[in-house]
Amino acid sequence: MTMTSGLRKFALTAHVACSVGFLGAVAGFLALAIAGLSSRDAQVVRAAYLAMELTTWSVVVPLSVASLLTGIVQALGTPWGLFRHYWVLVKLLLTVVTTSVLLLQTEPISHIAAAAAEKVLSSADLRALRSSLVFPHAAGGLLLLLVTTTLSVYKPRGMTRYGWRKKHGQHALPNGA
Amino acid sequence: MADLLPYPGTPRWVKVFGIIAIGVFLLIAIVVFTGVGGPHGPGRHIPSGDIAGGTPSSSTTDSAQPP
Repeated sequence: MTMTSGLRKFALTAHVACSVGFLGAVAGFLALAIAGLSSRDAQVVRAAYLAMELTTWSVVVPLSVASLLTGIVQALGTPWGLFRHYWVLVKLLLTVVTTSVLLLQTEPISHIAAAAAEKVLSSADLRALRSSLVFPHAAGGLLLLLVTTTLSVYKPRGMTRYGWRKKHGQHALPNGA
Repeated sequence: MADLLPYPGTPRWVKVFGIIAIGVFLLIAIVVFTGVGGPHGPGRHIPSGDIAGGTPSSSTTDSAQPP
């Protein structure tokens, strides 16, 4: 199931745009999370958490899902495959982990945003939860996305056993098998 | 003759990644199950009506009605 050249370039463009956008969106999210946690200005704190919820639902989550889906399409539609090369497989796993953790974090993000809309948050209000948004969640997510970006650029060598069999073993099968 | 090439094995960088992943996973498991990082999981994110999550739990139970 190999895509034509034009379709492959379109899919690659979509995947790069979504993935880099996801990385940038998480960086912006981290900046908002730090501002919400450390600012002494109540209006900045409120604005940060309201903006976090908005960007999470309208930018970060759509881009994360799009990055995952376009990556799968890109892998399956090219000779790289999804399970043939370790760098593709590691990227897939890291993106799945990042997206899963992000989806689990949408509930607490909405909770903090609702609290910020309702009253002025003091530095002690929801402190542990707000801290966890900065570290490990946003900072960890950003690190994982930097790793996936690096893997995409460097494409370190190494085929999985499945990929090796596909490349070197299929021709050894008898005709018609 | 390329068809008969033996599998060269898992690259070193994959092994390093795997070791790091296992270490991070164990660290997270220790933090979650020992409670070092406070209560975890989706349930902890929704306090029951009180948004002052940073206050000690005793401050809320002190004012609670006895059963």
